[in-house]
Amino acid sequence: MSCLLGVVPGFATEVSPDQAEFFEKKIRPLLAENCFRCHDATEKDVKGGLSMHSPSAFRRGGDHGERIIVSGKPEESLLIEAVRYQNRDLQMPPKSPLSESEIRDLETWIEMGAPDPRSEVEDDLRGPTGMDPEEGRNFWSFRPLQKSVVPPGVHPVDHFIQARLAEKSLKQTTPASKETWLRRATFDLTGLPPTPGEIEAFLADETPDAETRVVDRLLASPDYAVRWGRHWLDVARYADSNGLDENLAFANAWRYRDYVISSFNEDKPFDQFLIEQIAGDLIENPDRDTLVATGFLALGARVLAEPDREKLEMDVIDEQLDTMGKAFLGLTLGCARCHDHKFDPILQSDYFSLAAIFRNSRNFAESNTGAIKHWYEHDFSSEEEKERLKPIDEAIAEAKKKARTHKNKVIGALRGEARSKAVDYLVASFEFDASATLATVSEVAGKYDLHPRILYHARRHLDNSHGDKVFQTWWKYREKGDQSGMREFYEEKFETAVLAFSQLQKENSKAKTLPDPELEPYRAALFDNSGLLAVPAKPEHAFSEIDLAEYHRLSEEARLLETEAPDYSSAMGIADGEKIEDTLPIHIRGNHLSPGEEVPRALPAVFGEKDVRFPSDASGRLELARWMADPSNPLTARVIVNRVWRWHFGQGLVSTTENFGVLGERPSHPELLDWMAGWFVENGWSIKKLNRLIMTSDTYRLSSDPLPGIRSEVDPENRLLSHFPVRRLEAEAIRDAILHVSGRLDRESGGKSIPLRNRQMVFNHTSKDHTSYDSLRRTAFLPVVRNHLYDWLHLFDYPDPTMPTGNRASTVIAPQALLLMNSPLMTDSSAAFASRILGAAESTEERVDLAWQLAFGRLPAAGERDLAIEFLAEAPDSPHQWNLFCQSLLASNQFVYLQ
Amino acid sequence: MSPILQRRQFLGTAALGFGQVAFHSLLASDGAGQSHFPARAKRVIFLFMKGGPSHIDTFDPKPLLDRDHGKPPPFELPRVTFAKQGNLLKSPWQFHRYGESGLPVSDLFPHVAQCIDDLCILRGVHGTNPAHGGAMLKLHTGSDTFVRPSMGSWIVYGLGSENRNLPSFVTICPTLAHGGVNNWGSAFLPQYCQGTPMGTASASSREAKVKHITPSASISSDQRKQLDFLGKLNAQSVRENPEVEAMNARLGSFELAYRMQTSMPEAQDLSGESAATQKLYGVDDPVTEDFGRQCLLARRFCERGVRFVQVTHSDSEVQWDQHSNLYQGHTKNAAEVDKPIAGLLKDLKSRGMLEDTLVIWGGEFGRTPTAQGGNGRDHNPHGFTVWMAGGGVKGGRAYGATDDYGYYAERDKMHVHDLHATILHLLGLNHETLTFRHAGRDFRLTDVHGTVAEAILA
Repeated sequence: MSCLLGVVPGFATEVSPDQAEFFEKKIRPLLAENCFRCHDATEKDVKGGLSMHSPSAFRRGGDHGERIIVSGKPEESLLIEAVRYQNRDLQMPPKSPLSESEIRDLETWIEMGAPDPRSEVEDDLRGPTGMDPEEGRNFWSFRPLQKSVVPPGVHPVDHFIQARLAEKSLKQTTPASKETWLRRATFDLTGLPPTPGEIEAFLADETPDAETRVVDRLLASPDYAVRWGRHWLDVARYADSNGLDENLAFANAWRYRDYVISSFNEDKPFDQFLIEQIAGDLIENPDRDTLVATGFLALGARVLAEPDREKLEMDVIDEQLDTMGKAFLGLTLGCARCHDHKFDPILQSDYFSLAAIFRNSRNFAESNTGAIKHWYEHDFSSEEEKERLKPIDEAIAEAKKKARTHKNKVIGALRGEARSKAVDYLVASFEFDASATLATVSEVAGKYDLHPRILYHARRHLDNSHGDKVFQTWWKYREKGDQSGMREFYEEKFETAVLAFSQLQKENSKAKTLPDPELEPYRAALFDNSGLLAVPAKPEHAFSEIDLAEYHRLSEEARLLETEAPDYSSAMGIADGEKIEDTLPIHIRGNHLSPGEEVPRALPAVFGEKDVRFPSDASGRLELARWMADPSNPLTARVIVNRVWRWHFGQGLVSTTENFGVLGERPSHPELLDWMAGWFVENGWSIKKLNRLIMTSDTYRLSSDPLPGIRSEVDPENRLLSHFPVRRLEAEAIRDAILHVSGRLDRESGGKSIPLRNRQMVFNHTSKDHTSYDSLRRTAFLPVVRNHLYDWLHLFDYPDPTMPTGNRASTVIAPQALLLMNSPLMTDSSAAFASRILGAAESTEERVDLAWQLAFGRLPAAGERDLAIEFLAEAPDSPHQWNLFCQSLLASNQFVYLQ
Repeated sequence: MSPILQRRQFLGTAALGFGQVAFHSLLASDGAGQSHFPARAKRVIFLFMKGGPSHIDTFDPKPLLDRDHGKPPPFELPRVTFAKQGNLLKSPWQFHRYGESGLPVSDLFPHVAQCIDDLCILRGVHGTNPAHGGAMLKLHTGSDTFVRPSMGSWIVYGLGSENRNLPSFVTICPTLAHGGVNNWGSAFLPQYCQGTPMGTASASSREAKVKHITPSASISSDQRKQLDFLGKLNAQSVRENPEVEAMNARLGSFELAYRMQTSMPEAQDLSGESAATQKLYGVDDPVTEDFGRQCLLARRFCERGVRFVQVTHSDSEVQWDQHSNLYQGHTKNAAEVDKPIAGLLKDLKSRGMLEDTLVIWGGEFGRTPTAQGGNGRDHNPHGFTVWMAGGGVKGGRAYGATDDYGYYAERDKMHVHDLHATILHLLGLNHETLTFRHAGRDFRLTDVHGTVAEAILA
């Protein structure tokens, strides 16, 4: 009978009264007490997909499948394996094991054939909980682009925006002033304020295409790519260090950053840009640039010290899929690692089909730093370069060794000295208790010429050694108060032991212990580096001032040598692995130790049957990239066009720039989004053309003042764009503008920024961050240290550089104010700004006007000028007063907000 | 999500960090308590022992280790270990029973042992990651693979601030290694939720300061005047842009920053503490001074309404990470913290603050009962001890257990997620409903895990 049950899962068989009684008495209460809390289908979210609430659900099992109960065979049943607690990866109940008798009951029950007298209850726990692929094809973002016709003579952007406003009986406000428009456009395209000269020229230009000319000028400026490349670096979660568990320098990441900036500079078609980043190593004729582009897949934060290699590989793939999905497709693919996507039409099998592509790659190098693994890099270095750098590598190793040797030598000397005074330590320890403060101990140590910290430890050791063979005698003497007796005793013992040992060593240099069991403990106590005479591990606690200074000097020398050493020419990236597999098993619950069904490399099912063949001799990344960049892909163009819109207006048409799925927002203007996406593809995927299209619209020209009368309740978030949204400048723009206005900005572009050698520790356990930010270059070229971002970036809402961000936050917190009030960058810039003004104009009025122009791109209004003059009147010719004044301007709302 | 949390989320973007005054009063006007159910604790002091103190040498004695010292382990080792494991290694320390509860504590912690009846010793804690970085991130943020908000940030997010002039989450002398800022970062939670670091592990706590808190000498006496002028400028922009709430918030943020320049040094100034108090914390002894100062600062911040204070015991040698020389290293480490911790517990108690202050002690993992390199112990995330005191937990209680040798948590196990769930619960927050919508989904400190250890609630 049990055999029958075994092959018919969920078979509701007849249960004898005895069996029913056994179940009701033993099994049901056990399940109710220990299991139902997580495995009861009345809960929406049963753990591990396993519901025990009906006989058939129970037998069907959860994510691990039907092996949960193998009728008649407890040894083969997962249920028994789990409750026996022997498999560390499968222990149930999770908090405490069942009692032995309970486990026996379950075994007996399975031996009986697992009779379950409960009645069946309908459920639909299986199957995807999100959308199935068929349904998904009808979801807005998966549908093909919808074509709309724009009437002639109207700017397409205005056509769609105004139509939606009209539906709500709203209309757009008046245009912004020319000064406001210029400041807006200049910051928008270059991240810098307009200069007084540019303002003057624009105000004087009364031709109808004056604005277009400004846009073209700005698009052609090298500053454009610094600004817009930086936007993409947000999406690419760019950083110059790993900064997850271990912070190693990505000292070659800058090549990717510079690749991005130059791609924006040359207006590289976005489809090509995409393909290079996903598969720049696999395209026809890859070159150094396209190899560097694959840094996109390598820049993620990785748990480099993860000891489980297979888990690490899968975690890296997960990060890559998640980043790629969010960056290019607006899909949260990472959510389908453990189960089918809860909301979107992405199945777990889709995830592993994509993972199968990425599993064919090389993400790690052969080298490591101790337990810390190194990421893979494309090697560009010539033989000549390798030859040249080899001695430098050796010099670094040598310098590190020198510091280490010095440290060991000093410790060795300290140990030897302590050993020679062992009896003095015991004698001195007579004079205080283990609870004595170091100050007290130091006094005694001084008296006996001992090392205070060694004595401190020695006394504690004695407290821990009441029962110890060697030190129990010390306690006996101490109780008697017989200091000299104690001295005699130990002098004799230690001397004898040392003498015996040195003689033994003469006979047998390999001897480690004394054969005499009476004497050996005394020898051992003397030579125990962790025992009575332990030397403090911290050089700061152990070393004399001179030795410590020398140790610090040598360590610092080694650090600087490494920091300043040139890197091998190479770039972070990804390459195909040696072995190409066509399939990968699904990992049940995302756990690589629970392999399930094998799935082939494929595109997600929601995209339908595609004619994409994955080659047997390559990973398939190129085919994946080409499919993403294909005009027929419904997501790619929509996602990037929406990003560009977001960067112009501060809010996307789809406000969730990384999520075009069910939990993402729906587009505020679906027709506009689709029209622009289509236009963008037709116009060669050119970002600059799209910038130009958007910026020449009336909508972009709007004032930020809402029209009086149309108050916010109809459109509180201004998603319909009846006026231009006011925005705070981003971290980079604030800092760059401060430097620009004060005349301090260094325009040098590109190159390495983190002052560390590749794979050097940013800071090890010392927590000393040696990164300096005193450079006056544009912020995009400052190091991005994950884990310890530069204050300016960190405080002004720079995004977490471990995940793609298209929509930066803008918060107001007091530490921002502290930075603007007290940081040297601010005070130095204010002083430079003040002296610039004092040097360029004579009267207070002229100076105020110039300051306003430089900082705010306009002249002060009458009230503003009065305020300024009133403040300056106290000391109109004092540079100090002007410093205070200029700092206020740079800290003001007028400066950090864009109207 | 509760309406209050929704409101908080909405306001978050315009909130004034550090104290978020305007914001807090808005919340108060909701007329509802902020927590999900009655809180047992109002604030947390987390005494973090960097590197992984050994549970079997401190609060979880294992007699079988003494018996089987030097023998190969009679149980299966984990599939993945950090380093190669040797034979069983007995504890070099004696355990003695203390207090009415009679719970055992090793000779490493004679002072803390005096407070044993206030301690709830969680002996069945376990984590997932055997390396420092992963384990630290897991303990602080619940995730060892992604950057997520830290526990302190979630608490500040859930409960809001209790003070006007200080941050709500302070971390004293944190380590920048092994996750660094991510361990006190707010990730996608509003910025005001992030921890404010004071100093780093490499510098003395005496020098620990919030960055940019001191005006430059050239400005200092004129700063008030300057801020008045700035205030007038900003007020003008607020008048012109009444719909831009952030501009108004920014006006307030400068005033708050200005007040902080006074309130922060005041909170850090120990000169008003009596000699007896300083002695209680060991501030008078170079060995205990550094950590004692941190503990005393923690109490002072708590008195001033800071919600979450983390005190880190860390140094350039990864502190409690005794892969070798367990005896020497742990002796030194315990000597540095034992008296200060006991001082903190006694001081909080005598001031009536222990009742609603949750003190948590622990490292990112424990250590193996097997030896590494003869006289050290390797990382052990599979079973270790964390203890709590005050704040609504049962004192004089041991909860959970590791196996007979102390390798694996075995009974009443508490995963780090369970620890988080329990901590939030003690603060009146439900870990399943304290969520934040980000990138299209709701996030929790405990992700999809976590069970509150009801048995330890007083």
